[in-house]
Amino acid sequence: MVELNNQTETNADDTRDPVDVQLNAERVAEIDASCRQVVLLWYASAVFWLLTGSILALIASIKMHLPGFLADAEWLTFGRVRPAHLNTMIYGWASMSGIGTALWLLSRLTKQRLVWREALYLVGLYWNALVAVGTIAILAGHGTSVEWLEFPWWSSIPIAVGFFVINAVTFKMLATRRVEHLYISLWYLFGATIWFPFLYLGGTLLIHFGFAQGMAKMTANWWFAHNVLGLWLTPIGLASAYYLIPKVIGRPIHSYYLSILGFWTLAIFYNWAGTHHLIGGPVPAWVVTVGVVGSMMMFVPVITVAINHHLTMVGHFKKLKFSPTLRFTVFGAMSYTAVSVQGSLTALRTVNETTHFTHYTIAHSHLGVYAFFTMVAFGAMYYILPRLVEREWISSKLILTHFWCTAIGMTIYWVGLTWAGIEQGLMMNNPDIPFLDIVQRMVPYLFSRSIAGILMTIGHFAFAILVWKMLRREGQWLTGPTLFRRGEKISAEMEGAVE
Amino acid sequence: MTVTFVALWLFAIVLGSTAVVALIWAIGSGQFRNINQGAKVIFDEDEPIGETTDSFPIENKTTWSN
Repeated sequence: MVELNNQTETNADDTRDPVDVQLNAERVAEIDASCRQVVLLWYASAVFWLLTGSILALIASIKMHLPGFLADAEWLTFGRVRPAHLNTMIYGWASMSGIGTALWLLSRLTKQRLVWREALYLVGLYWNALVAVGTIAILAGHGTSVEWLEFPWWSSIPIAVGFFVINAVTFKMLATRRVEHLYISLWYLFGATIWFPFLYLGGTLLIHFGFAQGMAKMTANWWFAHNVLGLWLTPIGLASAYYLIPKVIGRPIHSYYLSILGFWTLAIFYNWAGTHHLIGGPVPAWVVTVGVVGSMMMFVPVITVAINHHLTMVGHFKKLKFSPTLRFTVFGAMSYTAVSVQGSLTALRTVNETTHFTHYTIAHSHLGVYAFFTMVAFGAMYYILPRLVEREWISSKLILTHFWCTAIGMTIYWVGLTWAGIEQGLMMNNPDIPFLDIVQRMVPYLFSRSIAGILMTIGHFAFAILVWKMLRREGQWLTGPTLFRRGEKISAEMEGAVE
Repeated sequence: MTVTFVALWLFAIVLGSTAVVALIWAIGSGQFRNINQGAKVIFDEDEPIGETTDSFPIENKTTWSN
């Protein structure tokens, strides 16, 4: 161990100029420092909403197999708790952590300090207030019953202001960037922050102001809801994976060509896919067919991303053991492939005939927003927070608890509900089976969902403790701004200090 | 109903064409020249290729004492 330490210090092959190294480290540290307050606010808020959303989720899940649970409290009936869970997770946790990561990546990749920091801080507070008001409104019974847009209009539409501020920041940072080449992650971030605000405004106006009625409303609803995943969460998640996987293992992306191809095909196909949610519904057949075709075309970007991430990782899988960021990010990136392939196949009418309106869909959406996006977001936060606060995480054990609880919890969740959904779909398609038999058949699976939910919630609390201690600056100092404990790190690997 | 569909498709077409415009800009401004160099822009002298930049924290009993 000691030998190895000495070796790194006196590495003869190291031809780097120490002055350059120092200058670079200082420049990067300055950029990171410019993000500090803003990103910490967005991240801390995200974690708060993650905990809130988890508890709402658990209540909803337990009610599915224990209908008497909290049945006397009208605020906590299933029809209110479930949309409250969904909206706190999407607009609170996923969007706020995503924006935090996006702002940090934008600064690092355009090599400049974060712009309009005061405005972004205020928008963070404003956003929290709107999510809080919207969630309380849903619990009080004022939800709109339009999935993914349950906040009443007076909470939902003002959020668009927040999205447009992020949009303006992106344009500003693009215009003043200090690099010529736009790294692939930047393309994904521009995709998210430039397109999504318009989608959001379009979707909310159409739905809340009654331009769309009846089936047209449902069409607008699913076109919008699918784009929340497709053109907002997915590009942010992929931007983060495309930065962190090569950065952590110290190896450039396997094929930059493929990554560019992947971005452009996603840009062109994803916003058509949403209408596959309406298969079997009373809408013109061509509307659904366009969605099915869009979904199948998504195989192109998904396969390029899968090949690329896998081939970048080949030979480095051992590092999963030593890096929290890599573990979460790679888990998320693999889930991206899984959820996208599953999604494309589910969009086929023959498959949908069985799986539509069953637990299978719920498993699928969690594979997307949780196993993919949320895990990638955790990975990014494990990387970014120490660099903002300049302290180390306080405990490997808590990180491991977080990882294993969420990874195992999510796996149980997906396996249980996917299986349940297929069974449920086959039974429902058979008119000889009484409906109550199907309901009873589902109870054990729903029970497994609550177990999975409890595991994930434990993981979230472990993570919340870590973030809280980080914000309180209770970890060890990092030895240099971004010179991230180079010597000690390697000795840690040699000792197998982890696990 | 028709209004909504027209609005949705208009939206899809407008957003789709922004992608086309961005693509044309990217080609014109040379984003795709020397494309493989692009993969390396995230590394620098401080954090060069070949170096891992993340690890579990070391469990250290003296964490809070200094």
